[in-house]
Amino acid sequence: MTKKQSKATQQANMQRASERAAAIRAEYERKERRSRTLLVTAVVVGVLILVVAIVVAVQASRDTTGQTAAAPAGVAGGFGVPMGPADAPVKVTVYEDFMCPYCGQFEKISEDTLKKYADSGDVQVRYHVVSFLDGSSTTDYSTRAANALGVVLDTAGPDVAIKFHNALYANQPQEGSAGLSDDQMIALAVKAGADKNAISGPIADLKFKQWVVNSTGNWSKSGFQGTPSVTVNGETIKFKSADDLLNNVETAIQDALAK
Amino acid sequence: MVSMAWISFAARVLVGGVWIVAGLLKLPDPAASVRAVRAYRILPEAIVPTVGYALPIIELLVGLTLIVGLLVRIGALLSCLLFVAFIVGISQAWARGLQIDCGCFGGGGFDARANEKYPWELARDFGLLFASLWLVWRPRAPWALDNLLLHHDRDRTLTGEPSR
Repeated sequence: MTKKQSKATQQANMQRASERAAAIRAEYERKERRSRTLLVTAVVVGVLILVVAIVVAVQASRDTTGQTAAAPAGVAGGFGVPMGPADAPVKVTVYEDFMCPYCGQFEKISEDTLKKYADSGDVQVRYHVVSFLDGSSTTDYSTRAANALGVVLDTAGPDVAIKFHNALYANQPQEGSAGLSDDQMIALAVKAGADKNAISGPIADLKFKQWVVNSTGNWSKSGFQGTPSVTVNGETIKFKSADDLLNNVETAIQDALAK
Repeated sequence: MVSMAWISFAARVLVGGVWIVAGLLKLPDPAASVRAVRAYRILPEAIVPTVGYALPIIELLVGLTLIVGLLVRIGALLSCLLFVAFIVGISQAWARGLQIDCGCFGGGGFDARANEKYPWELARDFGLLFASLWLVWRPRAPWALDNLLLHHDRDRTLTGEPSR
């Protein structure tokens, strides 16, 4: 004879059963949520990684630094616009951007001094023009001016190019402005001794743009972040002001000559 | 607690907004971004370009996911890692006497006043690092895609409904 359970026991059993069912259901839902979270996370992360990979590829193709470029005839060491004889014992490399006001200050005080050393045959100065300050003008003046210098060097030689280089700094535009127009640069170049017909096309077409891009890459890879930067026989000159820079350059030149 | 969730929401907007601005400003000029990474002189040259191309888009995506509230905890974790990397980068540049613009918002390169700016840049990055850490700890907040995608039982304390 089966023992009849009391009503209370029956109720208690039913409640336990329904609690167990609820616990199983909750556990099932928890697992469901977790797998859903994992799935959503994996899909979103996957899509984001794909986006990063695509953008990296696009950016790499937009950055042309290092692609082969025709250098202007008469260039020294790949990127230098030379002043002074190639066999001079001391090589002074000046990295500068035509939009950089500090470079303008340095040019103002250093041009005569450096020309004196170059004329004596002791020093070859190599001006490396870079274009990292394109964002400081509304027309990419850094690139346009550096290209124009390359064009003048290519067509009229180093002497005219150095005069043009000095004229560009004597007429340096304000930071944030549109810079000199192509016509203004051509007028300065002609005054320095360049042939207008030979330079107008390549200045307008940015013939040496890629050379300027590579010059900027070379400057960065040489360990520089700013302009003006100067090396004397490969040694970087430290400085706190434009005057300081010129003094230290002169000292380094004297030291190199004394060796 | 309602207020905690709103702190998380504010942190998402703040940190996300900074990343979006930082990323967008750097995207237009990949060559400059590469040079800014190189200027820190930490990474080997072989990977400098890839890092330079990848950083701006990673910053932008971290910012966007934080703002819309998508995978907040993962985004906040990435944000922490980036800030730690930048804090280390700026500190070592300062310690080594490099005078570089941090390149945090584009630009980068030599900066004669860099030594005066480093403390402020570090303070800013530490502040944003703490906001990111907060989000790793408390990622859930109102107005987030995560609430729709990940949690069926939205935290009722956020909406003020009584919990069952």
